[in-house]
Amino acid sequence: MKVEFELNGEVKEFDVDSGEILLDLLRDEGCKSVKRGCETGDCGACMVLVDGRAMTSCTLFAAQADGKEVRTVEGLEDELAEQLKESLLEAGAVQCGFCIPGVLISAYSLLSRNEEPTKGEIKAALDGNLCRCTGYVKQIEAIKETADSIGGSSNGQK
Amino acid sequence: MLKNLKEYHYPGSLDEALSLSDRESRSFFIAGGTALALSDSSRPVELIDVSRLGLDELELDKENGKLTIGATTKIQKVVENKSVQSVLGGFLSESLEEIGSYPVRNAGTLGGSLVRPFPWSDVVPILSVLETEITYYHKGDEKTRELSKLYESDFRGTLNRSIIEGVSISLPEGLNTAAKFKKFSRSEFDVAALNLACKLSVEGNNISEARLSIGARPMIGERVTDLEDNLVGEKLTEKVAEDAAVFAADAADLGGDNKLSKEYRKQLVKKMAEEALMDIKKEVANES
Ligand code: FES
Ligand code: FES
Repeated sequence: MKVEFELNGEVKEFDVDSGEILLDLLRDEGCKSVKRGCETGDCGACMVLVDGRAMTSCTLFAAQADGKEVRTVEGLEDELAEQLKESLLEAGAVQCGFCIPGVLISAYSLLSRNEEPTKGEIKAALDGNLCRCTGYVKQIEAIKETADSIGGSSNGQK
Repeated sequence: MLKNLKEYHYPGSLDEALSLSDRESRSFFIAGGTALALSDSSRPVELIDVSRLGLDELELDKENGKLTIGATTKIQKVVENKSVQSVLGGFLSESLEEIGSYPVRNAGTLGGSLVRPFPWSDVVPILSVLETEITYYHKGDEKTRELSKLYESDFRGTLNRSIIEGVSISLPEGLNTAAKFKKFSRSEFDVAALNLACKLSVEGNNISEARLSIGARPMIGERVTDLEDNLVGEKLTEKVAEDAAVFAADAADLGGDNKLSKEYRKQLVKKMAEEALMDIKKEVANES
């Protein structure tokens, strides 16, 4: 069957099997930031933005993306995304790196709708991401740091 | 992976969706998709996507005290909705936020959680303690049932070849009402090993209406109606809460599974029911 959706800013038509999982389609399309982890919706390694909302692509059929806007880390190139990438690296929040694309998607989705999240809100936004290396502390700090430098720069507080 | 899947349809109306379903007995409705995408069943040969039927409206009618939520509304959208957050001191939004993780709630729909609920469903006890009616479309007719009664009957048979359109919740008017949800699970986003919801209304000093529902018993959520009847007319004191919790643990139909033994569940019910009742006591005291 044919499905059409916007992938990282470009509207494309895809020939898919009815039962094809979005994760498989995206990786075949070269979006290797979308990792194959648990494939049960638990680890968040396959996270993407669908119409701006963070979702696990292993629990969606490719056909469900029809007419929607899908973004992977490959398509995140704005100031917020760049700042997040930098903060994660600077904070030492990246060890093996496997979970990082998913963490980036969750953080980007959070900061897009909430410029000044509390620590609790950052933790809640990461509740679908498993990281076996870092213990999350540095990742939470990096997201807070990004929020402070982007959203909080106007009032200089927090 | 659904290995025998051949077709994926996007019907534009309820009737079209139902006729597709009647044509192929091995077709399944899909909205959020999470459960089906994880399934490796060989049964489904066609999927019928009901996410384009306009069933995602959410409306709070303050005048008539009704909250209506369309079946394909994403759970996270319900959680974030300001009107929903204002209902019963945030009970509905806060308890729905305990379901899964953020990405799971972004994909999962309310109707999807109700059409074939898992025994550990949080949604069933949460909505059962509210005055919730469920509306579904079956063979060209719109039907409405009280939600808690539906799940105490053969809901699989009733909802078979039906499309859930949404739920409508009557909000308590002019009463001092509070509700609480408690969940026990092995991790923050694991499914419930036991869940419990409770709602009480107080008039003057006494309880005028009580509802308590327990899920993941390990069976699907069920109200403990004997306890509800006993609580009406009582003054909500610490002693009443303690006795009610013991009663709930004895009266609930509990069992054991690989998560928890029956005895462990019984102790948990006692603890969670008492906590819920005491939290409600605090809340109604603050309101009066
Ligand atoms: S691979 Fe999708 S959540 Fe783990
Ligand atoms: S950095 Fe290794 S899993 Fe997160």
